Amino acid sequence: MRYIMLLIMLGICGQTAFAHEFLPTYPRLQLSYVPGVLHTEMELFNKREDIQYYEFSVWTEDWKRVPFATTDKIQQIGYLEKKRIDIYIREKDKHRAVYICSKSKRLKADETRTTIASRICSKIKD
Amino acid sequence: MFNKTLISCVALASFCFSAMAEEIPVTGNVASKCVVTQDTAGVFGNPDASTLSTRPQDGGIHPVVRYDVVQASYYMARITAPDSFSESPNLTDTVIWNNIVSVDQVSDATMSAYDTNKVAYENITEIDLTVAGSTWFKIQSTADYGYDKALPGGTYQATVTAECIAI
Repeated sequence: MRYIMLLIMLGICGQTAFAHEFLPTYPRLQLSYVPGVLHTEMELFNKREDIQYYEFSVWTEDWKRVPFATTDKIQQIGYLEKKRIDIYIREKDKHRAVYICSKSKRLKADETRTTIASRICSKIKD
Repeated sequence: MFNKTLISCVALASFCFSAMAEEIPVTGNVASKCVVTQDTAGVFGNPDASTLSTRPQDGGIHPVVRYDVVQASYYMARITAPDSFSESPNLTDTVIWNNIVSVDQVSDATMSAYDTNKVAYENITEIDLTVAGSTWFKIQSTADYGYDKALPGGTYQATVTAECIAI
């Protein structure tokens, strides 16, 4: 009965889903083709029709920014588009870098309402 | 002769296709993941000249965000309620914000404990997502301008940040 309820609820919500998905949960840093630079690959799935841009960032355990490189720190990702994001971190920063985050970026709009910015952070595994 | 060859080719081709169609592997992988979904974008009501509120009795709509987690205890939800307008006319006085984040709906009854286990500080609420499934959180937000001062006319917009952080 519980699962039927869950399916019904998910079915109702699925009709107006504006979701943000960022994987993997626990990425691993691997050697890249550049000496002294580590690499990991993330995947973002944009199911938010109202969002076209996502910002990527790398953080320490206590939420200080860690320098990193990617194609663009803010990338355009269309509705229902899945995109692979390459993240490059210096080997000397590998013990500081803990979180890789993606955050939705909204365009300025003329509406009297509250909006929801979503951010998902994955945790780097040693 | 030509017909025989043609029939043989068709028969062989159909055999090959049927043989190919017999084995279609379906693979799956259950990995921990968190999906943040904007369920309802909130609306500010204007119950009096100095107040904007998302409460339904004030003419507003609470923003609602849904968290789906596939596996329990892998993620923490962090919801940052607004403490300023992201868009507004020029405001010359202070705005006092009152925010309450609470569980709205759950897919598992044990998730109702999130309301008692949540940690709230400043305008941030943190909840460990210890049960797999979906949880809806609503954010009640009220902004009072100055000391009963009328809010200038214009467009007001505030942003709630819903975060899902791997733990």
